[in-house]
Order: sequence, then C-alpha cells, then structure tokens
Amino acid sequence: MQFLSSATPKTNDAICGRQIAFTAAFILPALKLLEAPALLARYAAGDLLLPALLHFLLQTAVLAVVLFALSRSKYTLLERLQRAFGKGAAVFYIAFAAFFLFVAILPLLDLEKFTYAVFFDTAPTTFSFAFFFFFAAFFCSKGLTAIGRCADICLFLFLFPFLALTGMSLAETDFSNLLPLFGTKFGDTMSAFTYTTPHFSDVILLLPLLANYRPKQGDTKKILIGYGAGGICTLFFLAVFFGVYSSIAPREHYAFAKIAQYFPALDVLGRIDLVFVYLLSIVLFFHACLPLQYATDFISRTFLERHKKYVAAAVCFCAFLFVLFFNRRYNAIYALISGKLYPVFWFIADMVPLFLLFLPKYTPKTNGKNTSKKAVKKEAQRGIAQ
Amino acid sequence: MLTHAVLVNILTDKLQKNLQTLKKALPAEDILSYAFTTADGTACALLYADGMVNKQLLGDLIARPLSKLSLRSAQQSDGNSAQQSYGKTSGKNGSANNETAQQNGKTSGGDKQTDNPIVTIIERSALFPELKRKQKIADMVKEVLDGNTLLLIDGVAEGFIVGAKFLPVRAVIEPPTDVAVKGPREGFIEDVKTNMALVRKRLKTPDLRFESLRVGKRSDTMVSVCYLEGTANAEVKDEILRRLNEIEIDNVPDSSYIAALLSPRKHSLFHSVGTTEKPDIFAAKLSEGRVGILVDGSPIALTLPFLLTENLQSSEDYFISPFTATIFRFLRLISLFIAILLPAFYVSAQLFKMQLLPLGLMLTIASSVRELPLSPSLEMFVVLLLLEVLKEASIRMPKYVGMSLSVVGALVLGETAVSAGFLSTPAIIIVAFSGICLYTIPNFVETGSVLRWLFLLVAGSLGPLGIVLLSAFLIVYLLTSDAFGAPLLAPFSPLVPRDLRDTIVKYDMLSLRYRPKTLRSDNVTRLRKKTAKGEAQKGQSSE
Repeated sequence: MQFLSSATPKTNDAICGRQIAFTAAFILPALKLLEAPALLARYAAGDLLLPALLHFLLQTAVLAVVLFALSRSKYTLLERLQRAFGKGAAVFYIAFAAFFLFVAILPLLDLEKFTYAVFFDTAPTTFSFAFFFFFAAFFCSKGLTAIGRCADICLFLFLFPFLALTGMSLAETDFSNLLPLFGTKFGDTMSAFTYTTPHFSDVILLLPLLANYRPKQGDTKKILIGYGAGGICTLFFLAVFFGVYSSIAPREHYAFAKIAQYFPALDVLGRIDLVFVYLLSIVLFFHACLPLQYATDFISRTFLERHKKYVAAAVCFCAFLFVLFFNRRYNAIYALISGKLYPVFWFIADMVPLFLLFLPKYTPKTNGKNTSKKAVKKEAQRGIAQ
Repeated sequence: MLTHAVLVNILTDKLQKNLQTLKKALPAEDILSYAFTTADGTACALLYADGMVNKQLLGDLIARPLSKLSLRSAQQSDGNSAQQSYGKTSGKNGSANNETAQQNGKTSGGDKQTDNPIVTIIERSALFPELKRKQKIADMVKEVLDGNTLLLIDGVAEGFIVGAKFLPVRAVIEPPTDVAVKGPREGFIEDVKTNMALVRKRLKTPDLRFESLRVGKRSDTMVSVCYLEGTANAEVKDEILRRLNEIEIDNVPDSSYIAALLSPRKHSLFHSVGTTEKPDIFAAKLSEGRVGILVDGSPIALTLPFLLTENLQSSEDYFISPFTATIFRFLRLISLFIAILLPAFYVSAQLFKMQLLPLGLMLTIASSVRELPLSPSLEMFVVLLLLEVLKEASIRMPKYVGMSLSVVGALVLGETAVSAGFLSTPAIIIVAFSGICLYTIPNFVETGSVLRWLFLLVAGSLGPLGIVLLSAFLIVYLLTSDAFGAPLLAPFSPLVPRDLRDTIVKYDMLSLRYRPKTLRSDNVTRLRKKTAKGEAQKGQSSE
C-alpha cells in the first residue's frame, strides 16, 4: 500500500478555470433550491434575501482569498501543502475526508426526502433511494475531471430548466411580498443566516477543485463571475419563491419542484414542469455526489491510490448506511447540524482557507522547460481534453 | 496449411522446381497454372487464382506477346547493352515499367535487382502498367491469393507479378442505409481500391494520403488509413496505425471488426468510431481533420475521432439552408429523446407519478387499461418485444414475405390483441411512435434500442427516479469516455463554444471558418474569404 501519493494533478484530475466557474455557477446553487428557501423564510420572512446575500458576500470574500493564495505560486495548493508538510499532509487529507463525509449528510438527507416527495405519488419503498448510491459510487470512482465535465454539461442542465421553472412561475409572483425591506428583526435575520450556514458553505466545495489545478491568467475573474452568477440565480429564485408563497413560504419544502405548477398551460399539457424538475434533479444528484467524491479522493490520495473504485464503494456504502439509519431522525439531525454545529462550517469552510495564505509559495525551476510557441500551443490544445 | 519452410524459400532458375514449390505452398484447387513456351522454346508459366483474374487480358497482353518473342536470341543481341541503355530508351511504356521496377525494388521487401537481360526484355515487352518483381515465395503467394498473376520463366530466378486482378465488384450505387434527397448519391462498395478512387475524386490534393496495411492472419485484408497531411492530427493518425499494427486476428470480414478492435471501451454501448457509406461524407470528415479507414470487403468506412453529436448530423444538412438544418436537427434530438424515454415515462406515469399526464389523457388511459390482465410495465415490455421481433424478422425475411408479415404484424397482432383485451391501444401507439422516432437517427438505432429497454426496466421498478438516475449515470459515463483524444460528449462537455456552431444548431457556411477544435487539427482554418488585397499579394508573389 502506497502512503500519500504525489500531489501533482493526474490526467483524470485535470480541470480548468472555466469548469470551476461553471461548478460555482450551475452546480452549487442547485442544493440551495431545496430546503434553504423554506428555512430562510421561516426565520427572516420577507427579508430572506438579506441573510442569503450576507452568505454570498462572506463566501465571495473567502473565495477571493483562496484565489489570491492560489495565484501566488505556480504550484497547486495540494503540491504546496505536501511540500510544506511532507507526509504530515496526510493528516490534513484525512481531516478533509472526514469533514466532507460530514458535509454530505445534510444534502443526502434532503435529497432523500425530496426524492420521495417529488418522484412518487405512491408510497416508495425504503430502498428506493439506495440506488442513488450506486450512481454515487460510479461517479466517485472517476477523477476530478468528471466533476469539471459535469459542470460543463450543467450549463445546459441547470440553466434551461431553471429559466423555464422561474419563467413559468413569474406569472404568479408578487414581488411586493418582499416589502417592506428590513421588516424583520435583526436577530431573526441573523438566525436565518446562522441556521442556513451549511447550505451556503460553498467555498469548501470548490476548495478541492481549486487545490488541484494550476491557475491561469484570467481564471480568478472567471471563477468570481461564475460564483456571482450562481448567487444571482439563487437570490432571484428566493425572490420568486417568496413572491409566490409569501406567508406560507416556511411550509413549502422543495419549492422548486412545485413553484411552476400554477402555470395556466399545465391544465392542458399536464405537469410538464416536472420534466424540468427532473432535469434539475440530475444537477442535484451531481451536487450531492461532490462531498462524497472529495472524501473518496482524499482517502485514496492518502492510502489507496490504485483502488479508488473500492474506496468510492466504501464511502458510498457508509453514506448509504447513514441515510438508512437516520432518515427517521431527520429533524433531530437537521437541528443538530444546522442549529448547533454551524460553527464547524464557519471554522473549516471559512477559516481554514485563510490559512492557505501562509503556505510557502515555492517557485518552480524553469530550467529546460520548453516555452516555445509550439509548446504553448500544444499545452492549449491539451486543455480541450479537460 | 502453408508450411513455414516453403514460404521462406526463394526462387531458383528452374521453372519446374519453382512450380512444384509454389504448388506446395498453394495446394488449393482454385489455384491454376497455365504453361506455354516462347518462340525459342523457353518454358513459361502463369499462376493465378481462378475467377480472380482477367484471363482475356492475360492472354492478349502476356501470353501472346511472349509466345512470339525469342528470349534467347534477344538475350544475346541485347546483352548487357540493353541493360545499360534501357533507361535511356524512348517509349513511354518502357520508362513506366522502369519506374515500376524501381519502385518494386523498394517495396518488395528488399528483393535483389537481378542483372538478367531476360528480365529487362520481359519488362519491356509486357504491356502491363502494374508489373512487380518478386523473389520470395511468401511474397508471391500473397500476391496470387490477392488476385494477381504470377509469371514464371525458365532460367529466371524471379517471378513477375502481373496486376491483372479482376474481382467481381458491385456497381457504385446509392447506399440503402444513407439515402439523401439532396446531395451526392454515390456510395462505397466492397472494393477498397474503388473506394479509394471515390475519395480521391473528391479530394484532388497531394495532401490526401493512404497508408495501407494488412490485417488478418488468414484473410490478409487490406486496410487503408486515409487522412489529409497537415490537417489531421498526427498523434491521432499514428495512434490508429499503431493500434492497427497491434491487431492479431484471423479474419476481418467487415470494417465493424476494425471498429470494435479500435474502440477504447470494448464493452461500451456507445460507438466510439464513426461510420459512413458515402464518399462525400467521408471526404468532408477528412477535411475536418479526422482520420478515415477503408477496409477491403466492406462498404462501410470508418472515421475517427468520433463525437456523439455526429449522430445528429446528416449529409443533407449541408445542402439546405442552415435554419432548416437546425430545425431538422432539433427534430432529430427530440425524436431521440421520445424514442428512448417515452415508453419509460408512460410506465412510470401509470405506476408512480400520475401527475405526469394531463387529467383528460389520464382518464382515457385509465379506461383503456382497466380490464388489462398485464401490469403497465409488463404490457409495455410485451409490445416492445413485439416491435423488436417484427423489426428483426422484417430485416431477415425475403422481400416477398414482407407484405404478409406487415399484415400479420400490424393487423393480426396489433388489432386483435387490443380487441381481445390483451394489450391497450395507448401502449401500441406509444411503442409505434417511439419506434418511428428512433429511425430519425439511423446510426443510433441499435444503441437507442438497448437504452429504451434499460429505461423501461428502471421506470418499471423505480419510476421517474430510475429514469433520472439512469440518465445521470449515462451522462457521467459519456462525459468520461474519450476516444483518440476527443471526448465523446464534446463540444458540450468539455465545452468548446466555437465547435457548437455545427452541433444542434447549424450555422451558415461562412461561420464555420475553423475546423473543430475538439479534433485538434494541425491546420485550424478551413474557410477564408478571398480579399482583393490577398489576391494582389498572391499575384505579386507568383510574378
């Protein structure tokens, strides 16, 4: 068993700036359309945009710091980490793997409830959701390139249904429900902010991607714009959500699945909005796989580089067992993670990336490096394969 | 079976001995020999595979001129001087033969050039443009089996390969699998040389290269790798040639064998090699920077790298307006989704999610399935099975039985099953519609058919969740599938915005200025407007 493999990005881990930007823009917002709108409306009512905006500002700041830390060296963050700590970097990897397994809990529980609510009119069997873990294991066995390419395809899978669903629900939207601005007490707004911390901790889900790629000129801007676009999509959806449901918004879980059902043409056509919901669900599945994929990646990076498939299977089996045992205690788990353990997210998702600033830069030797125009062109061509 | 010991031999100058050796190497009944003598009594023999050569031509251009020739006297008079002055002799034919001989010296795997004057005389007298000299038995055996004729002469330790191959070939007609309303109608045939000529007819450039090699230990099939030098990616071309050289197989009856052997994922449901029966499409793909493969005995040419979006493209798209082409492509895409997903959604709507159907339709369906003895998924399974069986039977069945099959299939099985209350009308309509939709993309029929079964299976057991999960699985599978450096889902993933101009949306010709970036072509620009300034510069430089 090889302990701690090289941090140099492998072919199947190759990812580019555009794909990270697309992950931020089109995959990360998907989960925020599930339970977060109802949760925000419960505490902040008409001011639900405010805590969301605060989250985005905070996350954008953290992302900017990470990108700055990244741009200081030609090495990837993982390479720098491994150079700085040697074999000791394994401790970080294991800690991150454990953290990502923890991060996966809420999305998986949410996704399970969502699946049963949206995909079935009949009573589903307990094991219906189990099949998701077969998909997750397959997805996790792939390298990070798979995430990057997923992000590319999510441009179509997210944007098209998102615009269709919000477009169909606009006719029923009364934006005046959001008024008056700052009508909610500051304490309640802050409660909404704290309790939705796990849903909005985005940078940590981008960190393994950022840590694995070598930044190129202009990537920082791309990624920040991507994250901003994702934020605008989420804020717009929250506004439409509260505009449609107003005072009953806190009880409207998985709102995006039913927000368009009042569209007049559906009486004739049937629930064609569900087709868009199903398309968005594919993005949701990708999103739910992200933390599992990262956990797999860090574990296999530390111990079982050549047996990533088995690691992926083991990680997904653990996640399956967790969901199987705790789905009946959904509320308790939710209250625990969302209500009490949110500082863990603040610390790991928001503070840890700040430590990256203190990592040594390490300048690579350029001796013998082919910097001719042809080599640069070849490098650019290779970028297509990502 | 050919013995290795015989094959490694080389010819002697005794004709009878050579014939015996060759008969040992080629003991089959269809290998015939024809013995004749020249005017001075020198024994000669022609060895050929019966039915593969043009005997008339052999008689007129080889046997008859040689039988009138006196080789010994000519040898004496010509002597060495003939050998020396031969290069200078006028006569087009002579020089052509000399070139051939020189070429053959290079290509025959190191065959030694002899100084025998008879050889020169033969080369001068024989009126065949394709005349090669061989010394090794193995090479001669290969040529005879390939349809060429071997000429042996007593006293000459060399054999002459006469290119009098005459294989029965079918006419160049419109391929039945790729019919076009507009555009060229020629199709490839089973003869690789004809196919090469059809490509050359469309790409009259010295950059068009054919690299031929033999694949198949028994079939010795000629496989020709075609590409445009300076346009096709050299790495891709080398990789294809490397893989073809690595293939060890007994028989290559069709190009699909080569496609299967070249595929990076052997058990994949999706094709990773493009196929076409039309030379115009083949030439267009070569011009885009792809590498093509022609296989002797197969009318289906292969193109690499292959992208999944190529399935949506049709040759006609390029001969009609881009708007119409875009509409057709959207139609094909929607048809594809309908073909694969409609039966699955119908089943899952009935079993798990009624809301998917509008109320009126739901009531109609409910009334028609009320008395059915089968569950929705089983019913759909039966109807789909019927469709597949009918399809399979109609392909294999003789044409004159086809009519009665349609009657039995459509009327007896369909109509009677519904009136007997065994199947419901909506199920038959859905399967029929799905079946028709699948044929909008002919190259995807087999894959689409399997996918339809898979989706039906998951829809019957998990409902819409199964459909979504399987879709997600397929997406991840496809976007991690690369073949020859090109991702199968490109240019959607990885996203290459410039290449999107000829995928679902078809831009006008002037917008397609560059070759697809995904193919990593060595020459990016394919279309440039001639400007007055450019023309003037060209004129100056030519002056």
